[in-house]
Amino acid sequence: MNDPVAFVQALKLLGAGMAMIGAIGAGVGVGLAASGGVQAMGRNPDAAGIIQTNMILGMAFAEAVAIYALVVAVILIFVA
Amino acid sequence: MSEAKPKKRFGVKRWIILALFAVGIYAAFIGPSILKPVSPPVVMPAENTGLHIGGFQITNSILATLLVDVLLIIMALSVYRFIRSGKMVPIGFFNIFEAIFEFMWNSVEGAAGKWAKRIIPIPATIFLLIFVANMVKLVPGFESIGLVEPSITGKGYAPVKLFQVGSLDVYTVDKGQPVNEPASTSETSTAQGETTSTAHEGICTSCDIIPFLRGPSTDLNFPLALAVITIIMVQVYGVVSVGPGYFSKFLPVKQLVSGGIFGLINFAVGILEIILEFAKVLSFTFRLFGNIFAGVILLSILGALLPAILPPLLYIFEIFFGAIQAYVFFLLATIFISSATAAHHSEG
Repeated sequence: MNDPVAFVQALKLLGAGMAMIGAIGAGVGVGLAASGGVQAMGRNPDAAGIIQTNMILGMAFAEAVAIYALVVAVILIFVA
Repeated sequence: MSEAKPKKRFGVKRWIILALFAVGIYAAFIGPSILKPVSPPVVMPAENTGLHIGGFQITNSILATLLVDVLLIIMALSVYRFIRSGKMVPIGFFNIFEAIFEFMWNSVEGAAGKWAKRIIPIPATIFLLIFVANMVKLVPGFESIGLVEPSITGKGYAPVKLFQVGSLDVYTVDKGQPVNEPASTSETSTAQGETTSTAHEGICTSCDIIPFLRGPSTDLNFPLALAVITIIMVQVYGVVSVGPGYFSKFLPVKQLVSGGIFGLINFAVGILEIILEFAKVLSFTFRLFGNIFAGVILLSILGALLPAILPPLLYIFEIFFGAIQAYVFFLLATIFISSATAAHHSEG
């Protein structure tokens, strides 16, 4: 508290860390996509190619949420 | 036949790769400090290269985008010449081009149906631009050759003069002793700084390298521009396909007059639709920017942990993600545009 600049800097880093809590949801989403994809491939191995493509696409979308959190964290650290 | 396999196993390419690994280990751990990889500064805004047209500063990401444009134009012209030559069966490079176009055409036709022929130029252009930009970004030297400038963060390296070409002094930075920062780590990219002779005494003690070229997607402006263009084109295609009635999606005035309480609800939904368009711009922008910029951060952090063997594997990862993000941007643009052409079909 004696050094306001350092205090603000510390709060920024803390905020950046807390922003990454958002990665939890994306992790769950990617896990669900992988589990669904593997189950589908197990049941229908012939369609593995198309299932894999769509699974990776779904993973990319789910991961985007974590990337938003990362962007917020990066902005907090480097810009704000 | 059976001897062919073990012969293949000890082929010459394997030894080249192993030798490259050995050179990497030597440079990172054993060799003189001048060969050590450095940690490039992670900065959000694009840096100026010193060039400018009129009062307009040219940043390094603009330069890289222009390079990508030139590459795309060369590719387009060569494909055009090949098509003009009348051969039906593509060879070599044109095979890839045909595969990419068939892939894009199938995706667009699956989403848009009869409108596919009219909307394919926008998503296809975006796909090719992002794809080539993300691939070109991974070429060695792309983000490591540049001007030597005084460090902003105070964690720079001392410059070392390598050789002189005409009036151009070529410097590299000494990674042994990071100035001002005793506990700094080493890094993946082999940085090499160049500076003109005018900067003879402007050479700093603690230097960063401002690269001439920087991946366009790591600059927030590039994805933002593409996202804004995409959303504007969504509205344009909507108006072209359903007429001015397209805007009743945003301001359902007719239903407000005639529909009673549901008209009111629809009006609120229309306002939400307007907000949604802006949210689409945001999500487009940060998805592309975040993924590619996260790749840069990943390379610089994990490269610091294990500078010798890990980076090539991360580069494979980056190639994969560059392609995936280009495809995601393309697919979302296709879906938004095609849903705008089909919007409010049945309603008058």
